[in-house]
Amino acid sequence: MLGQQWPYAVATLLFAAGMWLLLPRARPQGRPIGAGLVCAGLALLTLLVHFGLAVGVEGQPYWSWQAGLPHGGAAAVDIVFLVLAAVTVLSAVAAVTLPSPVYCAIWFGMTLLGTAALFLYQGAQFLALATVVVYAGAILVTFLFVLMLAHPEGDAYYDRLSWEAMLSACAGAVLVGILTMTTLQAFRDPGPTISTKAQSPQVAQARATGILASEHVASLGGQLFSSHLVSVEVAGTLLLVALVGAIAIVAQASGNRLDRMGHVGEMGRAEATGRAVGGPTHV
Amino acid sequence: MFDLDTLMVLVPALPLASAILTPLLGKFVLKEQSHLPTVISLALSCVLSLCILFQVVDLSAPHAPATENELGTGGPPPGSNPRHGQNAPGGQVGFEHVATLWTWASIPDAYAHRLDERIDPKAPDAPAAPAMSNFTIDITLRADPLTSIMLCMVTFISTLVAIYAKGYMHHDPGYWRFFTYVSLFVFSMTMLVSVSNFLLLYVFWEAVGLCSYLLVGFWYQKPEAAAAGKKAFLVNRVGDFGFALGLFLIWTTFGTLNFHDTPAVGGHAGVAGVLGQMRLADPALYQIGGTTALLIALALFIGACGKSAQFPLHVWLPDAMEGPTPVSALIHAATMVTAGVYMVTRCMPLFSLAPTALHVVSIIGCITAVMAGIIGITQNDLKRVLAYSTISQLGFMFIALGTGTLAGAVAGMFHLFTHAFFKALLFLGAGSVMHAMGGVVDMRRFSGLRRIMPITHATFWFGALALSGVIPFAGFWSKDAILAAVHHAGESSSLYQGCYYATVFAALLTSLYTFRAVFLTFFGPTHVPEEAGHHAHESPPSMTMPLIVLAICALVVGAYFELTHKFAHFLVRTPSLAFGPVYGHGLDDAFHANIALVGTVVALVGIGLAAYFYLGDRREIARVTQFMQSGWGLKLYQLSYNKFFLDPIYTFFIVWPLQLLAVVSSLVDQLVIDRIVNWFGIVPRAFGSVLRTLQTGMIQFYALAMVLGMLVLVGSLLVWSMSWQIG
Amino acid sequence: MSELQLLYNYLIVGALLFGIGLIGFLSRRNMIVMFLAAEMMLQGVSVSLVAWGRFHNDWGGQVLVVFIITVAACEAGIALALVLMLFHRAGKLDIAFWQNIRESNQPRFVDHELPADGEAVGQHWPKLTPSGIEPPAKEEELVHRIHV
Repeated sequence: MLGQQWPYAVATLLFAAGMWLLLPRARPQGRPIGAGLVCAGLALLTLLVHFGLAVGVEGQPYWSWQAGLPHGGAAAVDIVFLVLAAVTVLSAVAAVTLPSPVYCAIWFGMTLLGTAALFLYQGAQFLALATVVVYAGAILVTFLFVLMLAHPEGDAYYDRLSWEAMLSACAGAVLVGILTMTTLQAFRDPGPTISTKAQSPQVAQARATGILASEHVASLGGQLFSSHLVSVEVAGTLLLVALVGAIAIVAQASGNRLDRMGHVGEMGRAEATGRAVGGPTHV
Repeated sequence: MFDLDTLMVLVPALPLASAILTPLLGKFVLKEQSHLPTVISLALSCVLSLCILFQVVDLSAPHAPATENELGTGGPPPGSNPRHGQNAPGGQVGFEHVATLWTWASIPDAYAHRLDERIDPKAPDAPAAPAMSNFTIDITLRADPLTSIMLCMVTFISTLVAIYAKGYMHHDPGYWRFFTYVSLFVFSMTMLVSVSNFLLLYVFWEAVGLCSYLLVGFWYQKPEAAAAGKKAFLVNRVGDFGFALGLFLIWTTFGTLNFHDTPAVGGHAGVAGVLGQMRLADPALYQIGGTTALLIALALFIGACGKSAQFPLHVWLPDAMEGPTPVSALIHAATMVTAGVYMVTRCMPLFSLAPTALHVVSIIGCITAVMAGIIGITQNDLKRVLAYSTISQLGFMFIALGTGTLAGAVAGMFHLFTHAFFKALLFLGAGSVMHAMGGVVDMRRFSGLRRIMPITHATFWFGALALSGVIPFAGFWSKDAILAAVHHAGESSSLYQGCYYATVFAALLTSLYTFRAVFLTFFGPTHVPEEAGHHAHESPPSMTMPLIVLAICALVVGAYFELTHKFAHFLVRTPSLAFGPVYGHGLDDAFHANIALVGTVVALVGIGLAAYFYLGDRREIARVTQFMQSGWGLKLYQLSYNKFFLDPIYTFFIVWPLQLLAVVSSLVDQLVIDRIVNWFGIVPRAFGSVLRTLQTGMIQFYALAMVLGMLVLVGSLLVWSMSWQIG
Repeated sequence: MSELQLLYNYLIVGALLFGIGLIGFLSRRNMIVMFLAAEMMLQGVSVSLVAWGRFHNDWGGQVLVVFIITVAACEAGIALALVLMLFHRAGKLDIAFWQNIRESNQPRFVDHELPADGEAVGQHWPKLTPSGIEPPAKEEELVHRIHV
């Protein structure tokens, strides 16, 4: 059974080994090798996806260039998509593995941009914009803000250490492998419903006037404020609550800090030193 | 003013109301006046009891139509007349008035039992299929001569004691608590003598025991008092266990626990009560096996022994003197301890079915009377002398009851009646002495009090003379009646002849120890212990007034009732005594001069001996020292002084083995059972210690565990779907 | 690309983003980076949702992603506030510092090997050159600043 799926296992192994080498460790040797392994694993995966490698079933040669997925095949490789996907995934790998949290955040921003482009490629214009604005514009900036606030010295030992790097790399890679294999397994022999949705001109017509229509944003807005009105209101309330909550938490924390600083201030007065009061106090 | 039913309910209800009211109001409202509800309710109860007495006297008079029996509606069973049975000669009629308040428990068609059915199922003419009867426990009160006498005695004495306690318990922090308990006790005691059912008798038998426990341990801060309460309770358990066994036997034998008869109602046959007139009038209904009768009588007598402090269960009563003295007077001299005598009198028909049991009653009575008398001679504690005197006098009553004759039963009850007055008087006098002496009861530490406490001294003399049986005091008449009854029984039986001599000897001891106490306390040089301070004085009027009343009673009740024969002729109207095996040859009203002479001589000899030893220059010490030069004398003295070594014997044979058993049980519990339980606890602990290693506290570890679990799920799903595809 | 190809390509990209984010969440020690990784997992899910929505011609996928973005924003606000508070308590962003909920008989997790100093391995961080002498802070000014 697994005999036919061995290329997936190889891709998973390569990916896991590469991630393990890339992740920060106490002795960070072999990071270039890791990068190479990750790239190799991802390339193998791409090949598997786009050429339907080794997804044959019983009775067929278990790896064959012709035994690819239906409705497509080698000729249909979309260069644009490949580039976008590669940018997204590779920057995600970088965001996760780089020691410096600032670089992490920046590479995460790159991932977000890639995702936004993928959204756009799907025709989800509003989501692409929202991702850039909300994630890259707001959330990421908040991340950086907090990083700057909490991390003025930058270089910290725990940024250059991982917890059980091999175990977690294996877990993530196996998950990816299983998901990929299952997906391809499922689409190798899709049922009539899926095939119809994929091929029928009526469905394509409906899609063109529906989710891919030119007034896309207006349609999404209409959907949001008609079918999902209550959810939108709840989401708005949630935002408000989160705002209040965040302020409450930070106010409490800064209250503590104020007390402590007051204490430090008194000590400072007693010691009459020139040491600056302010900045994060280490406990 | 009220009809009989209402009176019968009101007499116990008033003390009960007081027992509820006093704790509610006592602590914050009444405070120093907490005695008011008790005194008022008891006085009212006493008046109402007298009303009951007079009504019962009227109704039970031989010329009156004796139709008060509630059986009237049921109709007499064929072949027997419940009111004029075959064994009721001379026109004797029993009188009882039964009032059913409500039904406590009821089981329809519980058992097969019929009025005309013979108790022995193997009897040849027993019906093949007897009708089914209901088993009911009714809350029933009764009024008959025995009950009305007891009610009057109890309420009268308790009223006087409550008045006395107002002075005696003054300034005690538990003032309201004391009167609560006293009210509760009087309620229980009046119910005990009023109920018409063995089960309810048992309930209130226990209730008076509880009140006794509470009052003996009233000063529970004192370890001796707490221990004495516990001892009283535990020793009484032995007796009560016998009593309960007797109840079970009565139930299986007679099929009912009621004293009275239940008329036939509807389709159900009536039930002849255990002591009902139907059964008493028909000898066939009393045909129970000899062994069964013996067992029933003995079991009931064990109960009576516990409550009335008879050998060998008497050990609790002297210790119970740790309680307040009014309690000793009320509960442990006059009323509660006589419950056993009352119960045996009530059950005399059952006892007379088993002559062996009657012999046992007499022998135990003799042993108790003589032994307690001997112990009483050497005790130094004034209250303990009186306690042993009480035990001894209760022994007298049981000797009389043990004769099994009507005269004996009447004499026993008469002695109970007179004894209540003069013994309460003596105890209250002792309390008065204690009050003045600052709580000291040791007779070696005070003397010559007659100059300080004239009223107490005078009344104490009345009580002592009555107790010793000097004519014309009450004790003379009742003791004479007992001696006459026992002497009469001894004419035909050597056993009772022996009992007669024992009784005479016990009477000698009685006057000896009584006057020893009198001379030691009130005569000789005036000497007061330092606890009394400089204000040793006569007690307040609230204490001396009851003493005077009781002294008058101790003088007159015996002579009045004996010379007019009113007591005996009234008492024999009680159904238990008026019919059947007890009645026998009826009453002998004659006055036996020879026996009276013996009694008087014995009493005077005892007083003379006491005067010789203790009056004047107090020759006791010299005489006793001289007496103890011989080995036997020493042994006898020590035997008496140490109360026949019964307490050490009980400690050695009962308390220590039980303690040993408790220690062994405790060890088994700790070393075996607990270990086993711990072993069971090891399993989850071992399992848990394995699982605990997973709890590392690292957040990422938990996340990893979640991911691994998810992978296992997804992987198994994958494997399953692929194998399904292939297979 | 056909619609079906589009669908599974996106699904696999989503799976990759999810998996990489998972690896980051599991292994990184910096709380903020962990949080970044979690957001990355959300991105993976969003990609899949959008792909499904397009394939089925259904707005639900995109609507759900809108809500995901909303919730992620809330989450970011709260979580960063919490992280900040934890930082103030511990003085560092190390998640391994917070392991107090372990069983009492469990040993504390400690790093067996610490990395060499950043400078030694060629990492350089920009530093502000100190200039001049620090002026003495006025006492009331300090107190005032504390209470602002």
